[in-house]
Amino acid sequence: MKIFLSVLIFFILIIAAGGCDKGIEPEPESNAVPGQTGFSGKVTFAGTWPANVKRTHLVVFKNAIATSQDFFPPNLAFVIDSIPYRSSSFTYNSVDNNFIPMFVLTPGDYKYIVVAQSSTPALSLERKDWNIVGVYCINGDQSQPRTLTIENGKTTTGVDINVNFSAPPPQPFIDVTGLIEQFAVPQQQKLF
Amino acid sequence: MKKLIAIIVLLPVINFFGQTGSIKGKIISAQNEPLPGASIFLSGTQTGTASLQNGSFEIKDLPFGRYTIEASLIGYAKKKISYTLIQDSSPLTIVLTEEAIQSQQIVVSAGKYEQKIQDLSVSTSVLRPESISRKNYLTFEDALRLVPGVQTNLEQVSIRGSNGYSKGAGARVLVAVNGIPIYSGDTGDIVWELIPVTDIERVEIIKGPASSLYGSTAIGGVINIITRTSVKNPVTHFRSYFGAYNNPAYDIWKWNSNLRTFYGTELTHSNSSGNLSYTLSFKKFDNMSYRQNDYSKRNLGYLKLNYEFSGDTYLSFFADFLNMNRGNFLYWKDSRNALVPKDEDNGNIVKSNRLLAGLIYHHKFSDMITAELKSSFYHTKFDGYGKELTTSTADLIRNEILSNVKLSDSFLLTLGVESSYSKISSNIFKSPDFFGLGSYLQGEWKVSPEFALTFGLRYDYMKLDTLKSANAAAPKAGINYKISKELIARASFGTGFRAPTPSEVFTTAGVGGGIDVKSNPDLKAETSLSFEAGLLYNYSDNLFFDAAFYQTDYKDFIEPVLTKEAKIQFVNLSRARIQGFEFTSTWNILPGELKFTGGYNYMWARDLDKNTAMKYRPLNSVTAQLDYSPDPFDFGIDFRYMSKAEQIDFNLTEPPINLVVDGSKRVPVYVTNLSAGYNFFIGSLPVKIYLNVSNLFNYNYVEFIGNVAPIRNYSVSFELFF
Repeated sequence: MKIFLSVLIFFILIIAAGGCDKGIEPEPESNAVPGQTGFSGKVTFAGTWPANVKRTHLVVFKNAIATSQDFFPPNLAFVIDSIPYRSSSFTYNSVDNNFIPMFVLTPGDYKYIVVAQSSTPALSLERKDWNIVGVYCINGDQSQPRTLTIENGKTTTGVDINVNFSAPPPQPFIDVTGLIEQFAVPQQQKLF
Repeated sequence: MKKLIAIIVLLPVINFFGQTGSIKGKIISAQNEPLPGASIFLSGTQTGTASLQNGSFEIKDLPFGRYTIEASLIGYAKKKISYTLIQDSSPLTIVLTEEAIQSQQIVVSAGKYEQKIQDLSVSTSVLRPESISRKNYLTFEDALRLVPGVQTNLEQVSIRGSNGYSKGAGARVLVAVNGIPIYSGDTGDIVWELIPVTDIERVEIIKGPASSLYGSTAIGGVINIITRTSVKNPVTHFRSYFGAYNNPAYDIWKWNSNLRTFYGTELTHSNSSGNLSYTLSFKKFDNMSYRQNDYSKRNLGYLKLNYEFSGDTYLSFFADFLNMNRGNFLYWKDSRNALVPKDEDNGNIVKSNRLLAGLIYHHKFSDMITAELKSSFYHTKFDGYGKELTTSTADLIRNEILSNVKLSDSFLLTLGVESSYSKISSNIFKSPDFFGLGSYLQGEWKVSPEFALTFGLRYDYMKLDTLKSANAAAPKAGINYKISKELIARASFGTGFRAPTPSEVFTTAGVGGGIDVKSNPDLKAETSLSFEAGLLYNYSDNLFFDAAFYQTDYKDFIEPVLTKEAKIQFVNLSRARIQGFEFTSTWNILPGELKFTGGYNYMWARDLDKNTAMKYRPLNSVTAQLDYSPDPFDFGIDFRYMSKAEQIDFNLTEPPINLVVDGSKRVPVYVTNLSAGYNFFIGSLPVKIYLNVSNLFNYNYVEFIGNVAPIRNYSVSFELFF
């Protein structure tokens, strides 16, 4: 009987350890004011569009591009719809012009917002396939990227970028390795 | 009146003086089948007997009096019964119930021939179906969760960390029914609902690569389900259960005011006529689920025929049909709406039909040579209804010839050849076909009564549609050394491989967000190299310990990735290593009444390329079961713990993708289940009633991101054998 009681007590202690809390809890209610979280602005083009450009996007990065990895999520944070070739200007907002709907812009600071062009018909996430042609910057100095701050429930306006094909900005890190990054399949539904 | 009282009082006393009699009775299983060969002893004496072919027994020439009778049989829980022998004692009926998880004295055939479990060179557990009905697990894989070293993420089973979670992308554990694999022809995964639970004799779980015998998919181990042998007497089994889910732990999770219920009914009949025996079973399960759009409705039909041409030759056929209609819940909306799916998934459903048919022809040529022909046909069809219709139909035909040749008393050779062909028609996997051919050879050499050596080699040829053909060779070797009667050592070394499934190579479906899956015709088979060393210690007849160290190195792990072309693609990526230590123990504290089973697994699983933990693998896990069965009651308490998974699919749970809001939320797993049962007879018919509480503390946890595991639920089940 002593053995039985010992085992029973041991068992109850183990189980009690697990019964002390409720596990996963819901997040507290958000204090965000109703509204759309995002940003908007206008991209203006000057000069002659380069030939062979297949894609032109406004791209938001969390931080400046310092390595090949930085052209990829999670540093790659948001992509605006492709801007038609030879446009003189393009007005956008991040809610209506989200090129990759899966990307969700969360509140925070984003330190490198650029307009980039690619000659590949399909979307590529390789740095070497892209040319930076305009930077969201301070006082028109494209070597000084300006930080975009996104607030919960608010749309940050005036995120304008001037692209001058005759005066391109400094190009950040370029890699040629073409590494593949591991990334899980975002399975939207079970197959069966 | 005084005379009557005097007679009543004195009668036992009178009878106790000098008179003798016999204790007669019958030993039967919970399924009302006679159990021959059971030992029946009077407790504390050497007096006893064994049950005959019809389960009957008799112990003669016993003085009248009170006795404690112990009945035992390998594979069944020992039972103690108090009995008073008097002049007109009624015959006893002793019902032995099968033990749930066992590791001693059990014969297993997962090595393609029958071996005692203590003679094996690899870690193996055996699960009895009794645990499924007693605990009222809603699905078969729930029962596997309590086997040490076995982990299930949603419905995907993993042995010693072989799998994380890759829904619809193939399995790394091979599941077979009587040695016939039941992986589907397109996705290569397992549908647990198809398993004929009512007809299960035992479930053998090999913990380690078994590609040297089973080929691809067995890279992480094998779960071999053995169905019951044919019955000689008619047996009808009726089982029904009803249950309901508790309210969620948090009010904001309550999305529906109705009682969320589940119920199931199954009717199975077995009989024989001459040399032909059969089992026929129908089941219906409905589950409203505790979550929105997570319902399931299942209908299952099962037929098994067995014809014995002679004592040496039989033909066995089984067919299993499953019709299923279910909601498609994968991710929660967010942690404040944890039981509600994402808006875009709400309303998505899947309808599927599956038919598995198998044929086994067994012939014993002599005491030295036996042979088996195994053929199977597996038809799967599913239609997923969402924004787009996804559909796939696959037919898989498989044939195998295997032979056991006893070259001498100490050397047994097992050899075989098998082929498989599948044809797929799908709008997401293209419409490829697959052909595979494999041959294997395995030898067991009993060098001495204490020492056995096993070795094996399998060669496979695989051709997937228009892709270049591939080959794989998988050798293995193992030893078993009985150091003493109590202490047995084992060690094994083996390789494994897994060919990519058609879904991994050919899937081209869009997965949302503007991102598509790209096929990868260059996908190679992944390979593994593993080692295990273990000790089995029988401290006494009632206390066993088993400890094992294991290590597996994986190469060319197949993983889904996002390429820099912004496409999802399955590629050969990781080098990974899984090292671990597993300890299990079974302790019959009060033999026949009180039993403790426990297991601990430490698993260090690392992606060597990234130097990070592998996804969805817990570092520590514990299982414990305490069963108390004072006749006619059964009480059980189960507990399992898993440490918090270090790595998950963070890319899905964090910006910018953030597909699963709050998806990084995860906790250690603590789950406790309770069961209580009462066994009785209506007339001569055995009846069982069980009450179960699953997830007693209503603990909220996830096995996969944004997917809360079942909350507390209560159920009552009723079983009748006639």
